[in-house]
Amino acid sequence: MRVGLEAFLLLSAVLFSIGVYGAVSKRSAVQVIMSLELISIAVMVNMVAFARFVTPDRGTGWAFTLFAMVVSAAEVGVGLALVLAIYRRRHTAELPELDELKG
Amino acid sequence: MDWILAIPALPTLSFALLLVMSRQVRMRMLWLPVASIFGSLILSIVAFAQVWPGGSEEAIWHAGWEFAELAGKPVDLSVALDPVAAVMLLVVTIVGAAVQVYSLGYMHREEREGWYFAVLSLFTAAMLMLVLSDSLLLTFMMWEMMGLCSYLLIGFWFENEGPRKASQKAFLTTRVGDLGFLIALFAIWGVVGSFSYEEVLHTVGDWPAAVAAVAGFGLLWAAMGKSAQVPLQVWLPDAMAGPTPASALIHAATMVAAGVYVVARMLPVLMVTPWIMQTTLVVGLTTALLGGLLAAVQHDVKKVLAYSTISQLGLMFVALGAANAEVALFHLTTHAFFKSLLFLGAGVIIHAAHTQDMRFMGGLRRHMPITTVTFTIGSLALAAVFPLSGFFSKDEIVATLLHEHHYVSAGVVLLASLVTAFYVARMLFRVFTGPEQTKHLSEGHMSMLAPMSVLAFITLVLGFASPTFANFLGGHGVWPDPFVAAISMTSAGAGLALGWWFYGRRSAVVNTAIWKRRLGYAYDALAQKLYFDAVYDHVFIRPFMLGATLLAVFDMRRLDGFVNLVAATWVRICTISWRVDVTAIDGVVNGVASAAKGTGSWMRGLQNGVIQRYQRLVLGAVIVLVLVVFMVKGV
Amino acid sequence: MLPILSLIVLLPLAGAIAIALLPNDRTTWPRWVAAAVSASVLALATYAMVTFRPAGGLQFVEKFDWVPAANIQYYMGLDGLSVLLVALSALLSLLAVIASWKMDKRPKFYFAMLLVLATGTNGVFSALDFILFYVFWELVLVPMYFLIAVWGGPRREYAAIKFFLYTLLGSVFMLVGILAIYLHPQGGTFDMIALVDRGFPANFQWWVFAAFFLGFAVKVPVWPLHTWLPDAHVEAPTAASVLLAGILLKMGTYGFLRVSLPILPEAWKSWSWFIALLAVISIVYGAAVAFAQTDLKKLVAYSSVSHMGFAMLGIAAGTAVGLDGAQAVNISHGFLSAMLFLCVGIVYERAHTRQIAEISGVAGQMPVYAGMFAFASFASLGLPGLSGFVGEFLALLGSWGSTLSYWYTIAAAIGVLVGAAYMLWMIQRVILGEPSHSIADAPDISVREASTLVPLAVLSLVMGVWWASTLQFFEPYSEALAKVLGG
Repeated sequence: MRVGLEAFLLLSAVLFSIGVYGAVSKRSAVQVIMSLELISIAVMVNMVAFARFVTPDRGTGWAFTLFAMVVSAAEVGVGLALVLAIYRRRHTAELPELDELKG
Repeated sequence: MDWILAIPALPTLSFALLLVMSRQVRMRMLWLPVASIFGSLILSIVAFAQVWPGGSEEAIWHAGWEFAELAGKPVDLSVALDPVAAVMLLVVTIVGAAVQVYSLGYMHREEREGWYFAVLSLFTAAMLMLVLSDSLLLTFMMWEMMGLCSYLLIGFWFENEGPRKASQKAFLTTRVGDLGFLIALFAIWGVVGSFSYEEVLHTVGDWPAAVAAVAGFGLLWAAMGKSAQVPLQVWLPDAMAGPTPASALIHAATMVAAGVYVVARMLPVLMVTPWIMQTTLVVGLTTALLGGLLAAVQHDVKKVLAYSTISQLGLMFVALGAANAEVALFHLTTHAFFKSLLFLGAGVIIHAAHTQDMRFMGGLRRHMPITTVTFTIGSLALAAVFPLSGFFSKDEIVATLLHEHHYVSAGVVLLASLVTAFYVARMLFRVFTGPEQTKHLSEGHMSMLAPMSVLAFITLVLGFASPTFANFLGGHGVWPDPFVAAISMTSAGAGLALGWWFYGRRSAVVNTAIWKRRLGYAYDALAQKLYFDAVYDHVFIRPFMLGATLLAVFDMRRLDGFVNLVAATWVRICTISWRVDVTAIDGVVNGVASAAKGTGSWMRGLQNGVIQRYQRLVLGAVIVLVLVVFMVKGV
Repeated sequence: MLPILSLIVLLPLAGAIAIALLPNDRTTWPRWVAAAVSASVLALATYAMVTFRPAGGLQFVEKFDWVPAANIQYYMGLDGLSVLLVALSALLSLLAVIASWKMDKRPKFYFAMLLVLATGTNGVFSALDFILFYVFWELVLVPMYFLIAVWGGPRREYAAIKFFLYTLLGSVFMLVGILAIYLHPQGGTFDMIALVDRGFPANFQWWVFAAFFLGFAVKVPVWPLHTWLPDAHVEAPTAASVLLAGILLKMGTYGFLRVSLPILPEAWKSWSWFIALLAVISIVYGAAVAFAQTDLKKLVAYSSVSHMGFAMLGIAAGTAVGLDGAQAVNISHGFLSAMLFLCVGIVYERAHTRQIAEISGVAGQMPVYAGMFAFASFASLGLPGLSGFVGEFLALLGSWGSTLSYWYTIAAAIGVLVGAAYMLWMIQRVILGEPSHSIADAPDISVREASTLVPLAVLSLVMGVWWASTLQFFEPYSEALAKVLGG
């Protein structure tokens, strides 16, 4: 059986959905960051798939993916650093409890 | 002959000058009013000489001043000199001069003596103008002016309540009379179109009966007020609260005589209406008798003289009622002299005895010869004893009545004469005879005795001028009829004898008490002035004051209350309108604000600070947006 | 040719503006400005009076279009009826300023108000265009309101509002009348002189007369519309009372004489008995209530009601003599009520009370003042030889000779008697007697105070002795008006 574009897109969609679901409904900030990573990964898979199957002669997709990976890694670092800082402050990393910006 | 105007002008000038001076300056300028009256006196004598021998009723001099134009008709204030005026000028100036000289002595230590003389001058001027007046309007104006002077003089000692009340009473009572004068003026203007004596008297025959009646009665009523006839006599006895020489001039000789004078002048008007003449007669008789009776029960010597004046004026009215103006005027003249003499004498007596009450006087003749003689002359003239002037004038009145067949009236007059003689004797005996009750009696000052002597002299001789007087005025003068004279003398003699019986004998004091008890109610009534004052007080004055207060309360509570009610109702309406405004209209405005606030509050609730809430919102919004785009654009 | 009337009317207004621009700290300047302006106006008014030719009809006329679209003209002029009233207004304005010389509470505002008031009163008597007349009529209300409300006694707000609203209510009806005449086919103009005897239908006249009656009768004041007067007088400061009684009341009778009678003669015929009845009631009622008063100022206030009744009687009579009497009462009462209120003010300044029970014996303590007070009182009760008699006598004579029943005259004559009663009673209580505590050590009248009283006394005496001095002005107008009314 040939693994085509559709399979990768499906994978990407599933990963994206799981990520969105996690970002929206998880309590823990770390879990949310993980979910955000999943979203990123889904986007990256998507881009790689399109780059392979639709425009194989151009390297735009792969370059973009590399960028995304680097940014994603930095973002995770910063994000976790923020979570750490918040945890040190508030002794919690549960998002529902972090509501100081309440209107 | 316009210098005649100087006769009233001199006292006017004297008044005007005295008015603007300070109290101290006035005290040193008292020669001014005296000089002015003597000036007027001299001029009056000259004027009289010009008119002599008289004999007609025509004026020998006329002067007028057109001081206004009413509805196109000129209104003059005019004066004229005719025999009547000439005589009156002499009377007023002689008595006036006597009184002023007397006052120099009598009022010597008075603080406001200057003001007294000023008012006296003003009064004299007014009276002289009235005498000369040829216009009813001018007469009325002078009439009222004299009323003012009388008010000021009666109330001279205004610090005390008695003089204040008396002056007010005098003014108001005479004002009641003056209403009659006013109505008469209106009626006359209506038919004649002028106030001039000439036109009035010439046209009087053509007047409608109603007008003549109104005018006649109005003038009579005014005269009754001014001359203190019943029922308007109540002010004169109280007027004795003023200085005695003022009483002598005003309330004996001149002002009160003005009523008689004006009626005498206007007699043709009254004569048109028979019932008015009858009323005059009846009023005169009533007053003559009542005045005499009241005089007989007074203890205050001035009050005796006051009631006596009322009574004598009544006799003048009797003469007028019998349509004989000359006789009335003659009695006016003789009365002016002897009554003023009596008042001046009373002043001396009171001063010497330190009391006005005759019960505390006595034996004055032993220490005050001149006073006794002059006073007695005056008294006997009052009692109409031959050969004094009073006898002649009263006798003529009786003669006139008999001539006109008014027998009852004559009888009443004779009765009044008897009573007059009685109280005269009472007065004389009480004051001059009997035991002395005051220490250190001494004669009065020369400044007071001299005028009295002059007046006494005139009283002695004037009677003999009786026929001349009547002729002078254009009437028909005769010597008294012996029969009539005898009757008069009898009544006078009887009165004197009765007075002697009660008061001249040693045992007099006891007798009077018994008689008072015997007379009982009659005596009490007389002592209470026949209840006139009480009646007036209860019938007019108290109801008026009550009415005035009620009206004032009505005005404040009901009328003004109504205005306030209107205002309060309006305020209520406005308040309700305001409430409606607040709740309904403002309510809507506030409601909108509340809604906005509520919505805002709810929206604020969305911001709960939890990031995931925001994420979900954004996610939802994106999905919706995408769906919308798909639907709009197709897939 | 100087526009004298405009000057007389508008100079005080200019003066008021000038005062408003004065610096606030110079508290003595306003009164000098006011005095200077008032004196100039008086000089002009005297000039007008002296050069006025009694038989010459309308003089000093200024007439030009003001609002052509609405037919409103700026029309001013004087005739026999108004010339003396303007002079009186000018005189009393000056005397009011002099009497207020010591005013130290907000003097700028005070003297400015006095001047605005003068503009109003001068204007009312000079205006011959209805709208112009109405403007000045209403203008008078504002300064008087302030004078009472700011410088008055304890109940001043109540009195001021009552005065303002009561009068305003009346004038509103007057405006209706003015407009009714304008809109009527036979009217069509605001020219008060041209409208005389126009021949409006009788029914129309009746209603318009009623409208004007309300406006003028409140001002006179005629019983029963008089109740604003006692409160206004009692609470007002002396100068305001002087102007209120001396000149404002005359606006009412002037209104009758200038507007109601000449323009609506048919209506007058129907109304005259009613006016006479109210007049007689005013005379007797006013005098009786005056008698019962305990406050000296209220007594004088009610005496004003009584005296103006005589003017109304003359108006009701409608004969030339009666109309002479009404005008004479106007002038005489102007002098005498001003004198009386000035006298009350003088004694109030010393005794600090107006209660009759607390003041007595003024003659003993302040003889010169007492003399003037007594003069004013006797003149007021109608002593012949003084001005009060002229008006009363002519009004009575006029009503006797008119078509009215004789009983009106007789009843009014009784009012003369009652008038004497309350005046004498007041004299007896206040002037005579022993000096009371309230005036112990009180100084006699000052030169300044006397300078307000003496001119009035002299004028009253001249008017009373020499009747022609004032009658010559009144006669032509009265005769003409009597013809209109009789025809």
